[in-house]
Amino acid sequence: MKRSRFPLIVTAAVLLFFYLPIFILIVNSFNASRFSSSWQGFSFKWYAQLLHEPEIWLAARNTLVIAVLVTIVSLVLGTTSALALHRFAGSRLQRAHFTLIYTPLVVPEILMGISLLMAFVAAGVRLGLATIFLAHVTFCISYVALVVLGRLQDFDFSVIEAAQDLGAGWWTTARKILLPMLAPGLAAGGLLAFTLSLDDFVITFFVAGPGSTTLPIRVYSMIKHGATPLINALSTILLVLTFTIVIISQRLNRTKFLEGGTG
Amino acid sequence: MNHHSKATVGSAVGLALAVAVLLLAPAGCANKAAAVLHVYTWADYIKPELIARFEAENACKVIIDTFDSNEAMYAKLKAGATGYDLITPTSYMVSLMLAQGMIQPLDKTLIPNAAYIDPDYLKIAIDKTMDHSMPYMITNTGIAYLKSKVKNFEPSWAMFDRQDLKGRVVMLNDMRETIGAALKFLGYSLNTTNEEELRKAGNVVLRWKRNLAKFENEQYKSGIASGEFLLVHGYSGDILQVRKENADIAFAMPREGGTISCDDLVIPKAARAAALAHAFINFLHDPKVAAENTDFTQYVCPNAAAYPLMNEAIKNDPGVFLSSELKAKCEILADLGADNAKWVKVWDEIKAAK
Repeated sequence: MKRSRFPLIVTAAVLLFFYLPIFILIVNSFNASRFSSSWQGFSFKWYAQLLHEPEIWLAARNTLVIAVLVTIVSLVLGTTSALALHRFAGSRLQRAHFTLIYTPLVVPEILMGISLLMAFVAAGVRLGLATIFLAHVTFCISYVALVVLGRLQDFDFSVIEAAQDLGAGWWTTARKILLPMLAPGLAAGGLLAFTLSLDDFVITFFVAGPGSTTLPIRVYSMIKHGATPLINALSTILLVLTFTIVIISQRLNRTKFLEGGTG
Repeated sequence: MNHHSKATVGSAVGLALAVAVLLLAPAGCANKAAAVLHVYTWADYIKPELIARFEAENACKVIIDTFDSNEAMYAKLKAGATGYDLITPTSYMVSLMLAQGMIQPLDKTLIPNAAYIDPDYLKIAIDKTMDHSMPYMITNTGIAYLKSKVKNFEPSWAMFDRQDLKGRVVMLNDMRETIGAALKFLGYSLNTTNEEELRKAGNVVLRWKRNLAKFENEQYKSGIASGEFLLVHGYSGDILQVRKENADIAFAMPREGGTISCDDLVIPKAARAAALAHAFINFLHDPKVAAENTDFTQYVCPNAAAYPLMNEAIKNDPGVFLSSELKAKCEILADLGADNAKWVKVWDEIKAAK
């Protein structure tokens, strides 16, 4: 029987569209030319120049601090939210809760950015890293909650009942049963929150205050007026960082599974 | 084991909250801190060494934040965002912000260097008396071309009619710039709201369009550097940067005149460090500082005392430093208000035409 070539072609095309632009960006970060249309030789000069751009590093630091904090806080809040949604599914309160959690996913970013800004201004909060943090948590909770909720859908709660029968307390159950079984969902939700926070532009632009420029805001402005090769170099560094984190987290997960198997 | 992990989770959350509190904390006590100047501007628009010099001279800290479009910056401030002491919008946006009561008058006794501003420039500026704004950087919109490929170049908008360049020519995807070029070509003002003049200019752009590769705002720079395009409509500041890579590129201002755009220095009403903002404006217009900054940005600071101190390549470029006669034919883009719709209509017809 002859298999259709179609899936193969589609897969190849998808991979090409995913990775070719990234590949071109990485190649161009080593291009001596300032304008990516022509290759003028291999060079590390954009990376060297990046070292002398304190404003970019400050923006990168702001971005990372916010992303890490947002990931931690939205993981905790999102997971508790998902647990409540799952445990009391069907109740009128939780249906309202679900709608509220779902809304930030469908509200246009620009609307959310402007409305958050107006809310902060009305409340007299000074704009800065804190307002960016709050805004990011606001939309990241929803993503984490829905990802974890998906994981809970096929969760066998009889395991938890069994643990409780055997005398495990609330914390032991959460720690030994719930968390390990939810781990893939938590990892996915956390990575999602981290990347969403890392590259958000529209909402961040509106709620950012003086002294809290993040990397995406800086990069957009650089495209208008500054040097794009620096952006290529910076993006390459970020990519390397991201891939490293993903690989490490996969390694960690594998070890965890082994421990679970033997323990 | 249980206690250990409890402590880990607990301390992670605790740490997150603690850092969150730390993030919130500086917001509360910023007033008590040493003098800080918050500048809201385009990226890479002030030479970093000059900022360091200003900080040392005034024992203050300058914090730069960036925006990527006049409109986004305006929307944000209009919604109530504050905390910025100095902003660099383009002139047309300054008019709008002034009309909305968002910027404060300048105290010129604090800016003695205002005396150096090029009087030729002020003749065409919107805020001729600099009551609310000081010009910061100007750029001309003109024509860049490859000297070796474009024979018999004439500094005129008529170049976009040249059949031998067909398909290798690009104009800006910008209603005001491109219809404005056609208006100038016909001898009209590029801030016109006369529908008959706009219609005629629209027909000229339609004719040019048949000759163009496309309307484009960004890629024209790399396109002319690589020789893909032979002649492009663009900003002198951009072209000067591209010329560092390809010496075959020349920039010219059409003899009919064109647009001069200026980003202005303005102090918003809500500024907390207005005195420091005035000092910074004065610093930026110190002739030596202005010349150094021009060499860094490749845009020209319209400071007459700084002109002789500027880099030779910029100083001797007739496309950048226009003769008084040509400068008088150039205009600054003004805010059109409600008449903008007339332009949009003509532009939509141009874009829709095959």
